[in-house]
Amino acid sequence: MPKIDQDSITSLILKSGVILSLFMITAGVVLIFVRGGGDGMTISQIANYYNPENPVTSKSLLPANFLNGLLHADGLYFISVGLWVLIFTPVTVLIDALVTFGHERNKLYTLLDAIVLFNLLIAIFVIPRYIG
Amino acid sequence: MDPVSILLSFISVIVAGFLAGLLGSLTGLGGGTVLVPVLTLFLGIPIVFATGASLISTIATSAGSASGYTKSKIANIRIAIGLEVATTTGAIAGSITLIAVYKTGLIWIIYVIFGLVLLISLVPTINRARFELPKKMKPDWTTRVFNLYGSYYDQKLKKQVDYHAVRWWLGEIVMFFAGFISGLLGIGSGALKVLGMDWAMNLPMKVTTTSSNFMIGITAATGSSIYWFAGYIQPFLAAATAIGVLAGAYLGSKILVRITNVRIRWIFFWVLAFLGVDMIFSGVVKEQGLPSTGTVSYIGFAVSIFISIVLLFLLYVKVRRDSRHA
Repeated sequence: MPKIDQDSITSLILKSGVILSLFMITAGVVLIFVRGGGDGMTISQIANYYNPENPVTSKSLLPANFLNGLLHADGLYFISVGLWVLIFTPVTVLIDALVTFGHERNKLYTLLDAIVLFNLLIAIFVIPRYIG
Repeated sequence: MDPVSILLSFISVIVAGFLAGLLGSLTGLGGGTVLVPVLTLFLGIPIVFATGASLISTIATSAGSASGYTKSKIANIRIAIGLEVATTTGAIAGSITLIAVYKTGLIWIIYVIFGLVLLISLVPTINRARFELPKKMKPDWTTRVFNLYGSYYDQKLKKQVDYHAVRWWLGEIVMFFAGFISGLLGIGSGALKVLGMDWAMNLPMKVTTTSSNFMIGITAATGSSIYWFAGYIQPFLAAATAIGVLAGAYLGSKILVRITNVRIRWIFFWVLAFLGVDMIFSGVVKEQGLPSTGTVSYIGFAVSIFISIVLLFLLYVKVRRDSRHA
């Protein structure tokens, strides 16, 4: 079996993440312009990012509603998923590297990678409960 | 707002992102460091939304450029992941600090810190890249324990370069601060990461810049998810900046290799110095409760141009003198 080139896999994950994310974001922007809004908000409400009190922020877009938003061709959710693809791209790289370090029986770097992943998952799943 | 002005505003943010990505890539400071001042100072976007949009766009540029570096095996993924232990911890601390600062209404402090970090980052960035390879240092115990060896093919020197890093612990300390600044200001803080690998760990410049670029994405992802749930990411704004910054950084990386005239970079550095001084000025204006439009902003503009020219001139003289002594 040919040796799998780890650096090429990392490169591929990074590239696909960016392309997928840009595709979703662009689709979302087009949908918002075409449909004149998203998530029950008009486009002028969504586009008013000059107002710090604007209710349309990431806080109102819960990941639990992402799938439903996508199924309803809601532009705001397309953008949200695109942005989360960006956040998950480095997570995927870390998981892939974790598997590689494990295969190489590199205990120290398996542990270090696991700590980094742990930090990221804490930031995604635990800290949000205590803020806002 | 009518549809036409919405479209124009959206395009202006894309253009701002594009310029930030371009300038950030040409100077090596990264898109976010330019994007946040441009959005807040020129487009009047609240700093929280600016930092949110900037941080998440930073992941796109990091992943975009790192995909090239990792394939050509210049970036050292192993060393980078080891250092991410500190940057991600720092990013969590920095993002939580930003939330606390924002809640207490002391947001002017963020402007001032941003300006200072921008100005301080200019010094190592300007000094950088004068030497391709670091001075030889003996491996220490961390080199062996953490296996900090590597090698890459240097196209400029036309040879395979073997290298090793030292002082892993010092690298981790610098990286914690790099992560903290990233989470606090919504930037990649590449300048600080380079400092950690170049100055603290004695890695070759190529390995340092490319590995730092790879690391920025992981650090920014940590901060971005906290920003998301705090409501600091305005999706429509972030959509525009992600597209703009990525395109700008891409073009920047293409023309960077063609820029042989070093003097031209001084103009870019001056723009950055101006943004840094103007951010500090805006912070002070906010602290005093003065209006940030009209006469005050004109005075700020003039003062910032003057101070940034003086600062850059002093730095230019210093670099010239250093290179003559070298």
